[in-house]
Amino acid sequence: MPQPIIELRHVTKRYDDHPILKNINLTLEPGKFYTLLGPSGCGKTTILRTIAGFTDVTEGDVLFAGQRINAVPANKRNVNTVFQDYALFPHMTVAENVAFGLTLKKTPKPEIEKRVAQALQLVQLADYGDREISALSGGQQQRIAIARAIVMEPQVLLLDEPLSALDAKLRRQMQYELRDLQQRLGITFLFVTHDQEEALAMSDEIFVMNQGEVLQSGSPVDIYDEPINHFVADFIGESNILPGKMIADFQVAFGGHQFECADAGIPVNEPVEIVIRPEDLTLTDPEHAKLTVTIDTQLFRGDYYEIAATDRLGNDWLIHSVNPAEDGTAVGITFRPQDLHVMRFGEKEAEFDARLETYETEDETRDET
Amino acid sequence: MRQKFAKAYLILVFIILYAPILFLIVYSFSQGETMTNYHGFTWRHYQTLFSDARMLAIVANTLLVALLSSLIATLIGTLGALSINRTTKRVTRESLLTLNNVLMVSPDVIIGASFLIFFTMLKIPLGFGSVLMSHIAFEIPIVVLMVLPRLREMSASMLDAAQDLGATTRQLLSQVIVPFISPGIFAGFFMALTYSLDDFAVTFFVTGNGFSTLSVEIYSRARQGINLEINALSGVMFLFSLLLVGGYYWIQQASRKRKHRKREVVS
Amino acid sequence: MTKRKTWLYFIPYGLWLALFVIAPVALIIYQSFFDLGHQFTFSNYSTYFQSATYLKMTLNSVWYAFLITLFTGLISYPTAYFLHQLKHRQFWLLLVILPTWINILLKAYAFIGIFSQAGLANQFLTFIGIGPQQILFTNASFIFVATYIQIPFMILPIFNALDDLNPAFVNASRDLGASNWQTFRRVIFPLTLPGVKAGVQAVFIPSLSLFMLTRLIGGNKVITLGTAIEEHFLTTMNWGMGSTIGVVLIIAMIIVMTLTGDQRPKGGTPR
Repeated sequence: MPQPIIELRHVTKRYDDHPILKNINLTLEPGKFYTLLGPSGCGKTTILRTIAGFTDVTEGDVLFAGQRINAVPANKRNVNTVFQDYALFPHMTVAENVAFGLTLKKTPKPEIEKRVAQALQLVQLADYGDREISALSGGQQQRIAIARAIVMEPQVLLLDEPLSALDAKLRRQMQYELRDLQQRLGITFLFVTHDQEEALAMSDEIFVMNQGEVLQSGSPVDIYDEPINHFVADFIGESNILPGKMIADFQVAFGGHQFECADAGIPVNEPVEIVIRPEDLTLTDPEHAKLTVTIDTQLFRGDYYEIAATDRLGNDWLIHSVNPAEDGTAVGITFRPQDLHVMRFGEKEAEFDARLETYETEDETRDET
Repeated sequence: MRQKFAKAYLILVFIILYAPILFLIVYSFSQGETMTNYHGFTWRHYQTLFSDARMLAIVANTLLVALLSSLIATLIGTLGALSINRTTKRVTRESLLTLNNVLMVSPDVIIGASFLIFFTMLKIPLGFGSVLMSHIAFEIPIVVLMVLPRLREMSASMLDAAQDLGATTRQLLSQVIVPFISPGIFAGFFMALTYSLDDFAVTFFVTGNGFSTLSVEIYSRARQGINLEINALSGVMFLFSLLLVGGYYWIQQASRKRKHRKREVVS
Repeated sequence: MTKRKTWLYFIPYGLWLALFVIAPVALIIYQSFFDLGHQFTFSNYSTYFQSATYLKMTLNSVWYAFLITLFTGLISYPTAYFLHQLKHRQFWLLLVILPTWINILLKAYAFIGIFSQAGLANQFLTFIGIGPQQILFTNASFIFVATYIQIPFMILPIFNALDDLNPAFVNASRDLGASNWQTFRRVIFPLTLPGVKAGVQAVFIPSLSLFMLTRLIGGNKVITLGTAIEEHFLTTMNWGMGSTIGVVLIIAMIIVMTLTGDQRPKGGTPR
């Protein structure tokens, strides 16, 4: 593992005894795209601000390339920020905005011009240097804000919900561009968002946050497939979350039946929650079904139908299906064992990882035999 | 019907607003000595005005006091607005604002009388100095009020961004804050200037025998009755205000148009 | 370190607050407890509250200020309203403000000419058959000129309040079936009331203290609080009594401010 570029160790932040961050530990490696994901008020922007240097931490250490930087002011840190409202200086032109940081450093003029031109080129606004900020569209302002930050050649770029003010189409386009930019620059991006789709699409690693804590971290696939608790399962993607009970390793009961699953290491008879993603459910005849549900209503989403249904016990089900169903009819649903994910109540990330370790190695040994 | 009534009403109001001023100016060209019957065109009153050394000295005094006091008031007021804007406690901020506004809402006579007591107690001689100080004093709050909204418009993230890009506190002030609030500073200076030129009551209280401004001079002459030289003076002053307003309006329109054009280029 | 530096910026402004805001107010209150012989006394206040002349003068002054404010408001609201419907309203508003840049004394002086024995007003009265009247140096002429001078200061805040009014409210009111008048009375006027209050503040308090107008136009028949203060300070040199009247004026001012200032324009807590 390379030397981490940013580390937060036991970082706590309180405003008048009101905790904003509770014992945050996170490590960012060079050259990766990280995302802090969580609902508004969960503390993700505060983490960004502690790294940028706008906010002091109450306890804990902020490290940059192994050096403690708690006392280093924002203007001396080698990280730069792209702000949510872009924070472009309205009294300067585009080029003056981008050049701002370099002029403060008393960089020679020819070099400033060269680097500003490069930065504008990079965000595809090469000809816009003389424009007034007020003459730019939201998307263009967004790019200028990025250019202004990357022209400083920071080792870490912090992005505070930079896409939230853009319309849906532009936002998707910018997701590609940001990802592409990060790979070309090869620096660390730390991206803050409350939009799970954005996080899943762009990140190497996601930190899911709620109420000042990091609940789970991992690759987008890990987090999507194996959410640690109800909150994460609910917050990321659409999901059916059902109450159930562990029968044995790889056996779980819910909806009045017992099913094979892919989880183990949980005490027998422990109440658990089961997550099934709507796209993993398949409609079928009631005879071949694992469960039977009654269709309540459905919405056409373009590439699929979103079907709401209820089972015998009154649990609500959300199903994504390529084919429509008829309202009010009883249909069967089926799924594969690995599509089920069992969650224990109150399990922490470390415990979850440890448990996974035990039976995944078991898996391998079993495969070998 | 309604439209017509609105128009007629507005025309009437504008007539009332401008009739006295036009009346003054028309008679400034009258050959008579009173404002009763027009006696034919003459430049005579303007000639009298421009050869009246006392009056010209007073005009110079008035302009000097106005410019000097506005400059100083703008400086102090801007610093004041910056410090008020920096306060984080709501109570401190509100009390500072209340104190700031005391001179804005106080009647002129109260300001004049209290300053007179103040200068007398400190044994400051009445004259140019006391008038200048008084003008600075009553101009400061309007500068603060013109600068503060601009400071509030400044988003916190803009300041963060400047710091993020490496600006020190001083660079923050000189390269971001002051340029950003400069429209407010100019507006404050402009308002201070008009306050100074317009003031009569405060100056009347704190001016001694040797020093006079235009307002005080007009008052003492008007008390002696009609003198068409004053009409000529008002003609000149009206022209002066027209130029100021015209310039102000033109600058506003020009900057608006410029922005507009730039937007069109993009879309 | 930066904290200490920024405190330096506060020094000139802080000095101004102390010397020219707090000290003068304190001094005028202090002075009101001294008589002509520089002796500490309550006699100024007892004289004031026992003298029919002073009390009547105060009442008169308040009454005149009220009338001036009322007339100014009655003229200004429709003006601001109609003005706001015009196409180049900012330009027309500028034309309303322009006369305020003409020195107030020049405007008063103009009325000396207009209201004089053979002036424009009397020529008009003669023309319509009423015949010349004594206009100058009457209470009516004082109120007229004061109203004239104050009109722009009332139009401006009302115009701004109308400008702040979201047109969607008017449309919503129409949509819900209100007539023009009902829309005005139940939506537009209540929402622009803060503008009217600001106008009242801007007009009423100065009207209590317009001493130059009472001298030039009112012919010393109208004595306002302002006139009385000026007289005590600059003519009879009885600063103690002048300060006492000043304190009364300050109290009147505070009353007006609290009466008209209860509504927070924006961001206030809902009541």
